[in-house]
Amino acid sequence: MAAYRPEPDRDSRAWWERVARREFAVQECESCGTLRFPPRAFCAACRTEGWRWREIAPEGAIESWIVSHRSFAPGRHDPYPVVMVRLTAVPGCLVYGNWRGERPPEAGEPVRAVFTQVDAELTLIDWMPESSTPARSGENQANC
Amino acid sequence: MPTVPNMPKRLLEFRDRAAIAGVGYTPFTKDSGVSTLTLACRAVLAALEDAGLTPDDLDGLATHRVGDSAPPTLVGPALGLADLSWHLDQFGGGSVSHAVVGQAALAVAAGLAETVVCYRAVNARSEFRMGGTGRGVPVSPETQYQAPYGYVAPPQQFAMYARAHMLRYGTTAEQFGTLAVTQRANAAKNPRALMRAPITLDDYLASRWIAEPFRLLDCCLETDGACAVVVTTAERARSLRRHPVLVSAAAWGGGTSHLSCPDPTVTAAAALAPRLYAQAGLGPQDIDVAELYDCFTYSVIVQLEDYGFCPKGEGGPYVASGATAPDGALPVNTHGGFLSEGYVHGVNHIAEAVSQLRGDAGDRQVPGAEVALSTSQPGYILPATSALILRRA
Ligand SMILES: [Zn+2]
Repeated sequence: MAAYRPEPDRDSRAWWERVARREFAVQECESCGTLRFPPRAFCAACRTEGWRWREIAPEGAIESWIVSHRSFAPGRHDPYPVVMVRLTAVPGCLVYGNWRGERPPEAGEPVRAVFTQVDAELTLIDWMPESSTPARSGENQANC
Repeated sequence: MPTVPNMPKRLLEFRDRAAIAGVGYTPFTKDSGVSTLTLACRAVLAALEDAGLTPDDLDGLATHRVGDSAPPTLVGPALGLADLSWHLDQFGGGSVSHAVVGQAALAVAAGLAETVVCYRAVNARSEFRMGGTGRGVPVSPETQYQAPYGYVAPPQQFAMYARAHMLRYGTTAEQFGTLAVTQRANAAKNPRALMRAPITLDDYLASRWIAEPFRLLDCCLETDGACAVVVTTAERARSLRRHPVLVSAAAWGGGTSHLSCPDPTVTAAAALAPRLYAQAGLGPQDIDVAELYDCFTYSVIVQLEDYGFCPKGEGGPYVASGATAPDGALPVNTHGGFLSEGYVHGVNHIAEAVSQLRGDAGDRQVPGAEVALSTSQPGYILPATSALILRRA
């Protein structure tokens, strides 16, 4: 189960709805084409508001990771790994998730998103080695 | 002297205009038994007493806050201050501790106030822990992309950045540990310090995991306590009880978001440092003692690089060489820092720098200290940072 349920806001609600449909999308600026995450009204490169969703390959590389040995959040049992992933399609952006590999991550390792359905309303994105195939029920690699 | 492109000439007019004329503390404990407001009032009064002033001399109050706090709007009335000509309740944790003193220095330099006390008071151990237990998740739009994974607390977040540095540059646990051991040895000479029993590198390595790669002894002490400093004009400070310590430079910087960080091993301090040094007309080679924000061991190592004391990636070997020990090239966190003195969100680092420059730091005095650097959290997590260069008048 999720340690905390995300609280989507007016910038992010549509993004979470796409995640629930197992789509990995970021915003693309209509003026300059810059991809961005997290969802925001303005493009930080050209400071304009027009944008569209762009589905991207749900891939990245391991930038760092930790293994938490304290129960920092309700519902989590020690120890649990969290990875920091640099998105291949949006290299300026870092995303986080739990690690679904059978072994510890490695520096720079290519990884792929795993969609984990928590319940009818909530799906989260976790990460696994690019070479693995999803095994657990309720998980499914992205479809792009 | 370092140069900064397009630096406004007026920036230099601020140099040495304001001074720190007093410091005050409550005891640092694990359970103060009193309210946060009481801690704040005690530290404010202690700082005024140290300066040889009374509350009637006070016309400004400033603090920073995240979580537990006693703002000027409570402390002013509680001390019977019917009018304050300047006050500030700055949002933010350790990233803005030094910004608050910088802003008070600006206020007194501009004549908006003559005597300001900057303080921070927290019951951060007994009532409102920072460690992520017993309280809700901080509300930021970025929280939704991290908290669902159980990624919520500063030790986790800094551990993530520390591992990135280890992977990139080969920084080691032993280097983090050397810093923890050195700062504990400093705290052993500091009667205020919460943790004074010496530790060894083996003790460090044997301490339990909190969030790998961080062990218990990589982490600051959750503390109940308050600390305050009196900021006034350099002119007025010269007529007061203590030897004045001048604010030679105060600088602010941006930072990186959790979610957009081109290189997690470089902090906002790297961009701030040239501005800070240029404002003071000094460089890293001129710093006699450095009180650097040490929420975790790694925070010090990355700042040693970003403030120019060693090349990028060499902060670990620099610490391992003994350079940051009291007899090293750059004594760092002579009070023991957050790791061993206590965690009062940055103000105790400023107060220790003042003690060192006044020459009243007792057994931990760095002989002949004339110039000190003190820094805030270098801009991870909350995209902000700040720093001061202080100089003995
Ligand atoms: Zn754009």
